Amino acid sequence: MQQVPPIIKIENLTKKFGDLAVVDHLNLEIEEGEILGLLGPNGAGKTTAILMLATVIRPTEGTAFVGGYNIRKQPDKVRGLLGIAFQEPKMLWVSTPWDIVNWHAKVCGLSTEERKKRVKETLDAVDMWEARRKNVHALSGGMRKRTEMAKVLVQRPKIAIVDEPTAQIDIVGKHKIWNMLFELRDEGSTIILATNELYEADMLSDRVGILHKGKLLVCDTPKKLKDSILGGDIIDIQLEKDATPQIMDDLKTLKEVVDVMQTKATSLRLYLNKVEEVVPRIMSLFIKRSVPIKSIRMSEPSLDDVFAHYTGLTIEEAQKNGSER
Amino acid sequence: MRAIWFISQIALFGIIASRMINIPQYFQYYVSGLSVMTLYSAAVFIGFDIYEEAEHGVFEYLLSLPVSRRQLVLGRSIGGGLRSFIYVGPLIVISLYVIGSINPLNFLVTLFSLFLFSFGVSGMSIAIAVMIKSSDRFDILMGVLDALIVRLSTAMYPLAYVQQANPLYGGIASFNPVTFAADLFRWGTGIESTFFTLQNPLLPFLGVVAFFSLFTLLGVTIYERMIEGGGWQ
Repeated sequence: MQQVPPIIKIENLTKKFGDLAVVDHLNLEIEEGEILGLLGPNGAGKTTAILMLATVIRPTEGTAFVGGYNIRKQPDKVRGLLGIAFQEPKMLWVSTPWDIVNWHAKVCGLSTEERKKRVKETLDAVDMWEARRKNVHALSGGMRKRTEMAKVLVQRPKIAIVDEPTAQIDIVGKHKIWNMLFELRDEGSTIILATNELYEADMLSDRVGILHKGKLLVCDTPKKLKDSILGGDIIDIQLEKDATPQIMDDLKTLKEVVDVMQTKATSLRLYLNKVEEVVPRIMSLFIKRSVPIKSIRMSEPSLDDVFAHYTGLTIEEAQKNGSER
Repeated sequence: MRAIWFISQIALFGIIASRMINIPQYFQYYVSGLSVMTLYSAAVFIGFDIYEEAEHGVFEYLLSLPVSRRQLVLGRSIGGGLRSFIYVGPLIVISLYVIGSINPLNFLVTLFSLFLFSFGVSGMSIAIAVMIKSSDRFDILMGVLDALIVRLSTAMYPLAYVQQANPLYGGIASFNPVTFAADLFRWGTGIESTFFTLQNPLLPFLGVVAFFSLFTLLGVTIYERMIEGGGWQ
């Protein structure tokens, strides 16, 4: 069966400012129709990487192929496929959200009829229709961000790049935008999502690439990333009576169980992988040994745990270091 | 502010200086040159707009659009030229009123040349802004250029006097686009004197066309090869 080539292929993409490699030999393939999350603290190189893909910044080394076009040799064609919502909203000299989104739609080649329809739909969808005639200087940070997102949504590009799409937006707004991104993907767009919000990356992305100090550390589905941490899943079991050495030995025989700790006489903490597969067998074990369970609580590692696993720092700690960088 | 400066230059400096200077019709000569100087300084302003856009990140947005770099720079140059023309238009009307005579057909040619001139100056300003990428250095350089380009031209004094002062100055002034534009303006408004009569308007017209072509080509080349977001100071 013929494999479909990736829609974006990044080869040794590097950007240096002086001696500092802000993006350091990035190699990555992005499949058509997927949502790829780029997760990392501020200063990790996410924005620089996507600005290179958008041909806004020239690479120092390496290149990328977007839709088959080389970003160095065919930048005009690359930009024809892309739409980008910037981290900091870019408000033009045109003064209202309606003007901004309408102008953007015009430049992207929408017909008059299609433009009128889509601008209304999009501003409505991001809750900016009422404020469409407000001067940009009177808009809040969240409203400016929603207007910025509206530009990509009205364009519906083949490849959408969204840089921290829900920063400064409340939780209801976040969910709305996430749903719109899913709809965009379902309509056929490939989405690159740059974010430092763990929940956003986890929830939205088909795959997550973790960036730190310009380097791509790992890229896989959120589930596989979490499973890659040995003993990353945790089960806390509260028993009706004291745990016996026998039951602890039995638990250790399960290959997914990495470690068992007795936190109290009647409490056990298990570090394991693939918790959802192993819980039924753990329950069977307790039933077989006639040890009644009072409660059982499961938790999975977060992407922060994944980040810490690969870098030795939480995202918050890396953020503090990144600001110094 | 520009209009007040312009009117005060005519009403104060122009009138007083023409009484000191023993050149017939110097007042009309000066007013026509002043119009071209004002058009030049208005057209240069597009370069400062680019820094403002870079500061607000709008520049990066423009670079991300599905528009070629060539279209972007040509659009900016035309926009800059047109805008300077619109700003200076009323001042040119004041000049025509002060000068008092006009040859309509010649003046149409002159207007077209002035538009190409302002388009070329905008292109030059954009090219320099993109090469330098520092608003402070751009400010200084444009100040220096303004001082030299305008003063080494026939905007304020006839070429014969420039050549008498220093043949090198005369040589530079002969090929200066401000000279071409100013001389064409005088030809279009019918100003003639012992010290100034444009024998052949074709030469300065070709000079303006060459200036406009050179800086449009330069602007396009620089935009296509050098432009990128980030690194603006």
